[in-house]
Amino acid sequence: MNSPPDVPALAELQARFAAALGADLARSDDHSAALAGCIVDDGLAPEARVQVYRNNVRATFEGALARTYPVLRRRVGVAHFASLVEDYRRDHPSRSGDLHWTGRHFPEWMASRMTGTDYAWLADLAGLEWACEEALLAVRSPPASADGLARLAPEALANTTLGLQPGLRLVGSAFPVWSVWQANQPDSAGDAVDPSLGAQYVAVVPGDDGLVLHSLPVERFDFVRQLAAGRTLEQALDASRLPVELLGEALAWLFGSGLVTQVGAPPQDGAGRVQAGIGARGPT
Amino acid sequence: MRDAGTNRLPGAPIPARAGIGLRSPHHEDVATGQPDVAWLEVHTENYFHDGGPQLRALERARAHYPLSLHGVGLGLGSVEPLDRGHLARVKRAVDRLEPALVSEHACWGHAGGEHFNDLLPLPYTEEAVELLATRVRQVQEFLGRQILVENLSSYFAYSASRLTEWEFLAAVVERSGCGLLLDVNNLYVNSVNLGLDAARFIAEVPAEAVQEIHLAGHRRNRIGARDLLIDDHGSAVCAEVWSLYQRAIERLGPVPTLIEWDADVPALEVLVAEARKADTVMERSRELAA
Repeated sequence: MNSPPDVPALAELQARFAAALGADLARSDDHSAALAGCIVDDGLAPEARVQVYRNNVRATFEGALARTYPVLRRRVGVAHFASLVEDYRRDHPSRSGDLHWTGRHFPEWMASRMTGTDYAWLADLAGLEWACEEALLAVRSPPASADGLARLAPEALANTTLGLQPGLRLVGSAFPVWSVWQANQPDSAGDAVDPSLGAQYVAVVPGDDGLVLHSLPVERFDFVRQLAAGRTLEQALDASRLPVELLGEALAWLFGSGLVTQVGAPPQDGAGRVQAGIGARGPT
Repeated sequence: MRDAGTNRLPGAPIPARAGIGLRSPHHEDVATGQPDVAWLEVHTENYFHDGGPQLRALERARAHYPLSLHGVGLGLGSVEPLDRGHLARVKRAVDRLEPALVSEHACWGHAGGEHFNDLLPLPYTEEAVELLATRVRQVQEFLGRQILVENLSSYFAYSASRLTEWEFLAAVVERSGCGLLLDVNNLYVNSVNLGLDAARFIAEVPAEAVQEIHLAGHRRNRIGARDLLIDDHGSAVCAEVWSLYQRAIERLGPVPTLIEWDADVPALEVLVAEARKADTVMERSRELAA
């Protein structure tokens, strides 16, 4: 081979390549030109060849977020979603070889941009979709039978805790995000949702055939959130607004949805047993 | 429908026949052992989690088919250190799924703390050989097994390269003890994009190292007066790639061969028909050798 004009060491070469692929497009144009100097010029412009990688990286990142946030993408439109993702990548570039994690900061990032605007609900919608992502990939434990609860002496019932599915996610929003989510599934028409529907409290429940999203009465949502934090039945009732006469209905829903995995006594040290991975967002 | 015979249990070796990638539209059919293909391959990173429909489908499919895990995220040739967390998750997936083959790419993928989630090319230099071979050894030691390294499709060639692509890969094999995954579509893509002599590559690649072959489709982009092929795995294997595959099998003999179709995934019957074509090429090779 002929002696090349520019033979940087591997570290320098990768640094130039990385700079050309970076999310800051204004700067990466310059870096792309610097990388082009390290590329064999056989008649097809080196910059055009570098552009293939830049397009691939951008499309892969956007594709990962599109898979995680399909409802939000549908609501804002493909072009605006792409623009949002480009801005998001500048603040939160991929930090993993596993694409799954690229969208984990998107809800908080959306909140930082949308809070105080007419589009604040989009951040909560993103939070709901990330909750779906987490719920879908969580391990599923065998459901417990309600018989275990029925066998307990009445005096033991108050001090009983319920272990819940690790994949359960609870998302509360001041906006009707559950209705938006329902209206924008692939087989739905995507009709506009009346904002006056107000706050909604959603339980994301993983099942054999995918996810089921329940819109819960706020009292039941609070009660489940307390249970998920390891509170006893009595503590959960006290801390939530669930009327005692609705306790049976709430428990029937929990067991009927396969969400209870363990019926047990409270921890000996009296501390609340907080389940790892329960991402509960309270009513706002 | 296939039987869950003992030769197809988890950890079983992959026969020198054609397999297909397991993709979500086909989960149910494949999980019940419907398609008559010899083995399955999945992307390792899609099985990093403890639950989910993909994992449940693969757990069922393992009763019917031997498995290959194909990684896309380690960026083995990155100058920055390996992501140990990612490698630990690869090992967890390998321990859980007991694949017969584990593979990655001859590429780099991260720098400055940013991952590009793409298979980025390395220059064919002594420095890159040493780095890639060192990283492959580290991975093999951590996993406690040999891995295969796949040749890339590339959209440019570095002026710094001093070796041919096959010399580069042969040196990595020699210094690391890895095997090779020969992607024949990537050879063809590089022959159009970079002027690679694909026939010479097939003639020179260390034959004993090649333990798996990939076949895939690509997209043709016109830039000015030139074609640039994009390795998108979104269409049928083209005639030129079948021709190179036949040449490879003539030299290497039958090798486990994957139909790799990741975008615009077609009906299962289309994948099985492509696999049948690869099987036919290998059967002819056996007949000639008999």
